[in-house]
Amino acid sequence: MTSAALGLVAVTASGCTANEAFFFDLPDPASAEASIVQNLWQGTWIAAWGVGIVTWALMLWAAIAYRRRKNSDAVPDQTKYNLPLELLYTIVPLIMILGLFVFTARDQTEILAVENDQSETINVVGFRWSWAFNYLDEDVYDVGTPGLPPTLWVPVDEKIKFELTSPDVIHSFWVIDWLFKMDVIPGKVNTFEITPNKEGTFVGRCAELCGTDHARMLFNVKVVSRAEFEQQMEVLRAKGQTGKLESERVNYTGERPSEGRNL
Amino acid sequence: MTILNDPVAAPTASPTPKQVRRSHLGRTIVKWVTSTDHKTIGYLYLITSFVWFILAGAMALVIRAELATPGMQFVSLEQYNQLFTMHGTIMLFLFATPLFVGFANVIMPLQIGSPDVAFPRLNMLGYWLFFFGGATIAISFFTPGGAASFGWFAYQPLSNALNSPEVGADLWFLGLAMGGLGTILGAVNFITTIFCMRCPGMTMFRMPIFTWTIFITSVLVLVAFPILAAALVMAFIDRKFGAVVFAAENGGAILWQHLFWFFGHPEVYILALPFFGIASEIIPVFSRKPIFGYKGLVFATMAIGALSVAVWAHHMYVTGSVYLPFFALMTMLIAVPTGVKFFNWIGTMWRGSVSFETPMLYTMGFLVTFLFGGLTGIILSAPPLDFHVSDSYFVVAHFHYVVFGTVVFLMFAGFFFWWPKMTGRMLNEKLGHVQFWMVFIGFQVTFLVQHWLGVQGMPRRYGDYLASDGFTTLNTVSSIGSILVGLSTLVFIWNVLWTWKNAPKVTVDDPWGWGGSLEWATSCPPPRHNFTSLPRIRSERPAFDLHHPELAEHQPAPATPVTSGSAS
Amino acid sequence: MKIGGWSFGLGAIFFLFVGGAYYYFSRDEIGTTALVMTGGLAFLVAFYVLYTNKRLDGLPEDRANAEIDEADPEYGFYSPHSWWPLPVGFASMMIALGFIFTAWLAVLGVMVLMVAVIGWLFEYYRGAFAR
Repeated sequence: MTSAALGLVAVTASGCTANEAFFFDLPDPASAEASIVQNLWQGTWIAAWGVGIVTWALMLWAAIAYRRRKNSDAVPDQTKYNLPLELLYTIVPLIMILGLFVFTARDQTEILAVENDQSETINVVGFRWSWAFNYLDEDVYDVGTPGLPPTLWVPVDEKIKFELTSPDVIHSFWVIDWLFKMDVIPGKVNTFEITPNKEGTFVGRCAELCGTDHARMLFNVKVVSRAEFEQQMEVLRAKGQTGKLESERVNYTGERPSEGRNL
Repeated sequence: MTILNDPVAAPTASPTPKQVRRSHLGRTIVKWVTSTDHKTIGYLYLITSFVWFILAGAMALVIRAELATPGMQFVSLEQYNQLFTMHGTIMLFLFATPLFVGFANVIMPLQIGSPDVAFPRLNMLGYWLFFFGGATIAISFFTPGGAASFGWFAYQPLSNALNSPEVGADLWFLGLAMGGLGTILGAVNFITTIFCMRCPGMTMFRMPIFTWTIFITSVLVLVAFPILAAALVMAFIDRKFGAVVFAAENGGAILWQHLFWFFGHPEVYILALPFFGIASEIIPVFSRKPIFGYKGLVFATMAIGALSVAVWAHHMYVTGSVYLPFFALMTMLIAVPTGVKFFNWIGTMWRGSVSFETPMLYTMGFLVTFLFGGLTGIILSAPPLDFHVSDSYFVVAHFHYVVFGTVVFLMFAGFFFWWPKMTGRMLNEKLGHVQFWMVFIGFQVTFLVQHWLGVQGMPRRYGDYLASDGFTTLNTVSSIGSILVGLSTLVFIWNVLWTWKNAPKVTVDDPWGWGGSLEWATSCPPPRHNFTSLPRIRSERPAFDLHHPELAEHQPAPATPVTSGSAS
Repeated sequence: MKIGGWSFGLGAIFFLFVGGAYYYFSRDEIGTTALVMTGGLAFLVAFYVLYTNKRLDGLPEDRANAEIDEADPEYGFYSPHSWWPLPVGFASMMIALGFIFTAWLAVLGVMVLMVAVIGWLFEYYRGAFAR
């Protein structure tokens, strides 16, 4: 008990917040789904720290309290088993695990739901080694390079549907503050829906090894008002980036990915 | 059966003229290279895998040096990719897996009272396949395109001929296939030995826990490695002969992942279970109590083994291609038998008489460290949480906590524990304690901070990051920790070298005094075929019953006292 | 050997059951095949071990009250040392490198492998060991 209190004091005295200390500095959720993740993260960690503290305490107690005294010839009771106790520490963790599973199943169903009621559909193309964004409803596109990471523009408080495609190898589309990533797999279209609910500039990174410049496959996400989003689309139109960036290496039959080959 | 003591150490004692000593060296080399003695083959495995450990550890130090600050200071991004690919490949395939085979070879036949394994020459073949498979992979470093650079799981299509044309990748695929075949042959040998060569009275439920873990691990090897070998060969045929098994249009990307992880997850339990077995051997000896909940441990090991085959796609949660609830449930379930093992180990210490010689110190280090790795594993088992931290440094931290915590800590525990049995001398305790604290503290400093890095958004396999990312401080701390870990290995090597000549020889069967399993009922080191006589087996701790008859249980008092010299 | 056999047997039951449940929920052919084949492997070994065990009467290592000298005094033949595993291993490497670099090396490797395997098999039936 004292060590836990001391730990708490040390943590707060050093200027760490509880989130930084016990929840590993999980970024503030910037989407509706991310709040679900944050809840589950914190609840699971509370349970995990609880189990951990109890178990560490038990082993440290055993190491200290039952330490052999100097030159002791003691032969302790040769206890071999204790069936009720063993059953207890089989059943209790099992119940905790099943509880965790229930919450997990509930949350993942909600996060991954694809209801097709989005206001924007964006086809993200991950390729070696940058990103292209096809704004399918706006009929414009943008593309980046490792040296000049592209910016993904997204209207706030609206549901966006992302369709992920790749012409070459597996990549992974990770927007840190959305607490979510999904792989970009060649030969397959991966889909998810998300509702960003915080305006701002956020960081995105490729999260699946894709070759030499994997570490430079970065992008930015700018979550803005609907008005500004429309403005940015105009900017792309003005630059002549109309239509859709196709990759001839994988044939999407000319249709929008969402009408194609979803598994 | 010969009574000749056949020590491992090169001839020492009398000063011989240089000429004679050289022919001794030649003879020793021939003796080792043509050996069919499970102990010698085991030593070959242990030594070779430790050499690979040092090589891959050096790669890790370069990785950490590169990541300490933003910017590429030492290697290019391509070289960095080769470094972490080979670090992972070597650590898992050329260090940890052969290490388990080595310990199993040396110890298991002794523990069941058998004179050798069932197929001694096949045993040696397994070693050569490991040796030459490793050599094949080593060649890749010296090829123009360099070693494989697609990560140790070689995802398709990144690892196909188009994206990874270098010949180092071909060497990687076939070298691993060879090594995998060697491991399979070893597993066949172990299972047959355990089934067919136990001494009289050594029923399955009297075998030591370490032997049980070797048995279950060998079953896992039979389940997992053939699939790996098949996938590797098919990928090689794709590369070399233009097949399209893993082509993206054919769903090859996901097919590879399923096949690889169906092997890959049992593989990490193949690594963990034998070392859990080592913990189960050490804790009773240094607590002066029998292992608590023997049957529970056996069933827990079986449960872990069985479940580990059913969880593979938790490595694929973010692919959007797997049925999440099934894998989430199976993965969470594995925590239950693992927890049972943990509480049984603590229960062994409870109300015991615990002393902290180096083997026990390392085992405590394992308990403390692995617990945290297990907790982060629970987090990762939940898909909504995994979506954020998958492929980030959180995962890197998790698996180093569980794998390093288990394999490395318990490797050193096993070395210190069984060194007298293998070599006839003890390793130095003080150096052992110094080494332990260096590696324990160094490990925590290196890997604890990586949990924060991952959650904050640092992906794995990034050779560099921006100064504006905010990752610099924690990366620098992590790199400093890695230096401490590296230095600790030097302490161990010094310990081995110094005690080789200077430590006094062990004259008793059991220098620790409280050994339970049969290896402690024969000399240090054992004779060529392990035992000149065997004690009666009436419990799961026959050596303990032999050396502490006043404490032995169901012992109908024997007519004549049982000593290790009597011919009964 | 009954316990060992049933270890595999329980495994077979578990894998086949899990394979079935997995297919029911996921309809994934890859994982289902792997699980069912694993169950088949476990069943194969379990069947063989249990069947063989039935034909043996109470081995001394399976009896709780067995004495050490109940085992055969002549345990069997143990190869004292052997050169043959080395060329078999080396030939495997030759074949692998041959596939990678150049065909003739693989052909040579196969030849060495054949000689080495035959040498291994007949090692204790030739020369000093011939009957």
